[in-house]
Amino acid sequence: MAGVSARSMARGSAPPGPVPEGLIRVYSMRFCAFAERTLLVLNAKGIRHEVININLKNKPDWFFKKNPLGLVPVLENSQGQLIYESAITCEYLDEAYPGKKLLPDDPYEKACQKMVFELFSKVPSLVASYLRRRDKEDCSGLKEELCKEFSKLEEVLNNKKTAFFGGNSLSMIDYLIWPWFERLEALELNECVGHTPKLKLWMATMRKDPTVSALHIDVKAFQCFIELYLQNSPEACDYGL
Amino acid sequence: MRRRLEIQCEDETRSLGKGSCPPGPVPEGLIRIYSMRFCPYSHRTRLVLKAKGIRHEVVNINLRNKPEWYYTKHPFGQIPVLENSQCQLIYESVITCEYLDDAYPGRRLFPYDPYERARQKMLLELFCKILDYQNTTYFGGDCISMIDYLLWPWFERLDVYGIADCVNHTPALRLWIAAMKQDPTVCALLIDKNIFQGFLNLYFQNNPQAFDFGLP
Repeated sequence: MAGVSARSMARGSAPPGPVPEGLIRVYSMRFCAFAERTLLVLNAKGIRHEVININLKNKPDWFFKKNPLGLVPVLENSQGQLIYESAITCEYLDEAYPGKKLLPDDPYEKACQKMVFELFSKVPSLVASYLRRRDKEDCSGLKEELCKEFSKLEEVLNNKKTAFFGGNSLSMIDYLIWPWFERLEALELNECVGHTPKLKLWMATMRKDPTVSALHIDVKAFQCFIELYLQNSPEACDYGL
Repeated sequence: MRRRLEIQCEDETRSLGKGSCPPGPVPEGLIRIYSMRFCPYSHRTRLVLKAKGIRHEVVNINLRNKPEWYYTKHPFGQIPVLENSQCQLIYESVITCEYLDDAYPGRRLFPYDPYERARQKMLLELFCKILDYQNTTYFGGDCISMIDYLLWPWFERLDVYGIADCVNHTPALRLWIAAMKQDPTVCALLIDKNIFQGFLNLYFQNNPQAFDFGLP
């Protein structure tokens, strides 16, 4: 049963069949920030797709044939081509599908989006470290590091004087970094944007975007998922279903 | 020796350090790369500049004694950085390589097909992890392309670092190295082993003369 809110597939499950023509499949997980990037792009570009959720605490053996690293997201098309690494999946979708281009055509503007992406690059691992350590030790150092990374992004907005990271309309870079900002509230890390007013404003503007709000994750549900996930519970990925 | 220096002369200039004058604006029709002769990351960008025949000038930076003005080019003073005549600055080695491929006509290094492009990018990610991913002569197929240039600088240095033995158990990779050494672009930028050794020795002693080792 394929769908963004479907139960995940786990060890012992039968591998899904080939992807029907005219559709692209994404192997995902409902609470995964990396997979959310791909879902945002699929939705923003109106690409017909099916979702297969993977139980990341009890992965099916067949999934390693889709991605030897066993991680989500992975794209699979009807020619059997597999693409993984979230940023690569997003760029692939933008190049392979018509409609609104999320990355600019201008080589310099495109490079600028990638440079901003590099500036953001320490955030996911900092957040992951914080999650693993917050119940065991003092994480004020980690929070400070996060604040530092966020100030770099604030500086970008200050220099560009635009509402979004790629200009005056929402584009690829905004979707790529959004999932971590979406989770700040649930993780009680809102203080890290306390001194970055432009970033806070950007977050508020992002929430109003129809693509972003369609994929919004309930704060409480995410918190429960995290608790189960950190306990390595095989129930984590299906929490709330 | 002289012939090699002739071929490489545009890259072989003394590095600029603290107290140096900032270079002027980049002339029209040219792109500038801030680089260092022995750095594998800027080597990537120089390979792409060469492979695409892009007219460029090289400004080498003394990485142990960086000019103050260099921080206006890169916030942390890293290389490589590209600067064009519109004063646009691009950094991060992979981003500079992709920018050059997009911005300049002629020989395309990244494939046209979106899936093939994605595949090269996935390969780059897996660079250190999965060496048996390669089943063709070059990482992108039967012809040399972007991914080969992006990986090359580290393999060229294996010999000098004294860890060439690590490809003993990967015959496909050894063949790839041999094939790469036949490529005219790779050859044109090949670093002399002795010069590189000399650089390394001085570098590990924190000697700021390191970056200009081998220059007259």
